[in-house]
Amino acid sequence: MSGQDGPSMRDSGGSKYAVRMDGITKRFPGVVANDDVDFAVERGTVHALVGENGAGKTTLMNVLYGLYEPTEGTVYVDGRPREFDSPRDAIDAGVGMIHQHFMLVDPMTVAENLVLGVEPTKWFGLVTDEAQAVADTRELAERYGFDIDPTERVQEISVGEQQRVEILKALYRGAEVLVLDEPTAVLTPQEVESLFAVFEELVAEGKTIVFITHKLGEALTAADDISVLRDGRLVGTVRAGETTREELATMMVGREVLLEVTSEPADRGPETLAVDDLVVTDDRGVRAVDGVSFAVQAGEVFGVAGVDGNGQSELVEAVTGLRQPESGAVTLAGEEITHDSRRERIEAGVSYIAEDRQHRSLVLEYDLLRNGLLGGQTLPEFSDGRLIDWGRTRSFVERVIEEYDVRPPDASASARSLSGGNQQKMVVGREFERDPVLMVASHPTRGVDIGSIEFVHNRLLDLRTEGVAVLLVSSKLEEVQRLADRMAVMYDGRFVDVVDPDAVTEEEVGLLMAGEYPDDYERGEGEKRATTEDRPTDTANID
Amino acid sequence: MDNPARIDRRAGLAGGAVIAVLFLVILVPGVRQLGVGVLSVLDASYVRSALRLTVPIAFAGMGGIFAEKSGVINIGLEGLLIVAAFSAIAVLWWLGGTTGALALAFLAAVLASTAIALLFAVVCIDFKADQIIAGLAVWLIALGFAPFGSIIIWETVNSPSVGTFDPLALPVLVEIPFLGPALFRSTPPVYLLLLAVPFSWYLLNRTTFGKHLQASGEDPKTLDTAGISVRKVRYAGVLISGVYCGLGGAGLALNAGQFIGGGETITAGRGWIGITTYLLANYNPVGAFGASVFFAGLDALQLQLQRVGGVEISSTLVGILPYVAVLVILGFVGKTRMPGAAGEHYESED
Repeated sequence: MSGQDGPSMRDSGGSKYAVRMDGITKRFPGVVANDDVDFAVERGTVHALVGENGAGKTTLMNVLYGLYEPTEGTVYVDGRPREFDSPRDAIDAGVGMIHQHFMLVDPMTVAENLVLGVEPTKWFGLVTDEAQAVADTRELAERYGFDIDPTERVQEISVGEQQRVEILKALYRGAEVLVLDEPTAVLTPQEVESLFAVFEELVAEGKTIVFITHKLGEALTAADDISVLRDGRLVGTVRAGETTREELATMMVGREVLLEVTSEPADRGPETLAVDDLVVTDDRGVRAVDGVSFAVQAGEVFGVAGVDGNGQSELVEAVTGLRQPESGAVTLAGEEITHDSRRERIEAGVSYIAEDRQHRSLVLEYDLLRNGLLGGQTLPEFSDGRLIDWGRTRSFVERVIEEYDVRPPDASASARSLSGGNQQKMVVGREFERDPVLMVASHPTRGVDIGSIEFVHNRLLDLRTEGVAVLLVSSKLEEVQRLADRMAVMYDGRFVDVVDPDAVTEEEVGLLMAGEYPDDYERGEGEKRATTEDRPTDTANID
Repeated sequence: MDNPARIDRRAGLAGGAVIAVLFLVILVPGVRQLGVGVLSVLDASYVRSALRLTVPIAFAGMGGIFAEKSGVINIGLEGLLIVAAFSAIAVLWWLGGTTGALALAFLAAVLASTAIALLFAVVCIDFKADQIIAGLAVWLIALGFAPFGSIIIWETVNSPSVGTFDPLALPVLVEIPFLGPALFRSTPPVYLLLLAVPFSWYLLNRTTFGKHLQASGEDPKTLDTAGISVRKVRYAGVLISGVYCGLGGAGLALNAGQFIGGGETITAGRGWIGITTYLLANYNPVGAFGASVFFAGLDALQLQLQRVGGVEISSTLVGILPYVAVLVILGFVGKTRMPGAAGEHYESED
């Protein structure tokens, strides 16, 4: 490898590239997360790494940061090959990573966090020189124009400020290259703007920045260069000034032909689910769903596409009864269920395939018999109101195991002992066979092997034929396009548009997923919401 | 936005008021019987006996702070006190009651308690046992083993009297009116405690080790990423709790001069009260010391009133006060905040 480097490349500080990753392949059991990726970042530039969820962005950056060891390939920092065993080695080499979840001790002050592990000391190293720590923090903050009080506790400052503390922490440890994993995901629009201003300051000081994003607009605004990853491969690197959203969207989503829809649309029945102007806040109190309205008929699959974290989870939780909405209404077959409990909704026929099956759908220590009952313990088929009818439960579970081909076919096996695909088949079988009125399927094929994906897809379509209303949420665009009769694209808590999945191109959907409207785009039925002129008001809603 | 310091003070006042009310409810009958004579029992000898009773509670409490701040909840403090008390008396009995033997017995007690704490640390930190269960095990094992050892050595659960620390009057200081005889004619464990309080506060709040201890209990992953071994910091926290309980248990036994193995043993739940003191004080060693003085002071007052005025106040009633107070504080005042990762195992990714 080093033979390819000119002599200047190996000179300390003489390399044109602050970071160069050569032929990086990272395999996990059964998955190739990065496939022969060549990635280079010029010194003193801002470089955006974009791609869909699961494209391998974070894996690539974790390789750079020493969290993962690459299966193949070499990482060069400053023109010299590096092998990192741990994040500490990476920071010693001048690579600092700012994770989505900040590495800060909340009850400690900004200055204490900044110096943690590398404290300036006095009295033979026994005592932290707090005055020095505060002075260092203040000096560093002033140098980069951050308005931060070093003596404030981290838990008392805003998320945007916490992110700056993280940046300062990396700089304090001598980082020359800063890697930020989706830094804008947790920020308000105003904070995003000032983050980009910070990028400019840092670059002016000679630092190099790599940031991961799936928002094309941000990449175009803040970056000098943009690299696009898809399915673990690097599609290409372009100059931000020489590309367009359309080009990026095409690179990001790809040109693969969609799989053909395998079944004809079913006969639609009456309106089963109606969601009216729903507002839901997330755990941090931020509006995650910001006034969404839609209806799903019996015998219809209504798909919600979008990049993760744009409010889909909260929407699903409000529909299934796991989260109370702030306002708006959820109606099931004409009955309002907005404030009904999860149990009442199960009894009313709302089945739910959760995105995180291990946390929400299964008790891993339970055997399949008890997992098959889970949630249905109050239904009349399984219980007389006081005692569970284990005989009927067993015959139900055995039927699910057989019909859904769960392996091993043993009701006494623990859920933990099953593979991910078989766990999912068990959940899908349980939820489908309870004769639902409404099926809420959230990322039903996440982490499932190809064979099981086909199976789950076909069962969902069967359910539609049987006249069940299906609400399908997935970040896999292909999945939603294939299965849905109508498709909403969700961005920033709202439906950007509701479209006919067969009538739109991947590029158009890619842009919609990034909250943008393609040029000359004629909107579908979803004109209820969010025009670009609305944008300033919705920023005001976020606190 | 409310100033956090002001919230703290408000919460502290509320807590203090609650405790004062409880105090009156328990003491009023006694005070009425005693009339104006109540003040006469609050003399220098009362303060000295209160401080002697403070020793095991405060040491256990401060030790518990170190363990829990590091992220390991050590509810075995009571067990460590028992181990230390028993070891101190057993070693002293074996050596005979000379002055040098007292110091050796003291040291042996600290070593014994620290050894058990080390075992607890290995089980909790390296083998990832449930901290609460392991802590209970420490207590139950000590509760069973100490009387058993007594029977083997002395053929009864209680040891004979083997000798105590003599009060040590500090020159000059003892001449200060009231304060002198109250504070500076005490036994060595009391002096040790008075030194340990500011030392603990300084260690926790001003030293680099203290910061690492706090980070280890709040957010071990962040500490690990910063290049500090969470394992070592947690070991240190638990071992300090062992040393402190050793000092407390030895101080208790060597002030009394014997080991009592019957019932809940000589420690009589003081390790548990130690836990309540640091919860009341929100993990501040100075506050924990204050709470210890208060609870020990009530205990001493109850004894003193019996001795001087022949007034009976139920010692059981006085004994439940710490627990009632901690329930009230935790339930209604809600100022106490446990370290974010206390009780959670941490596995380094390296």
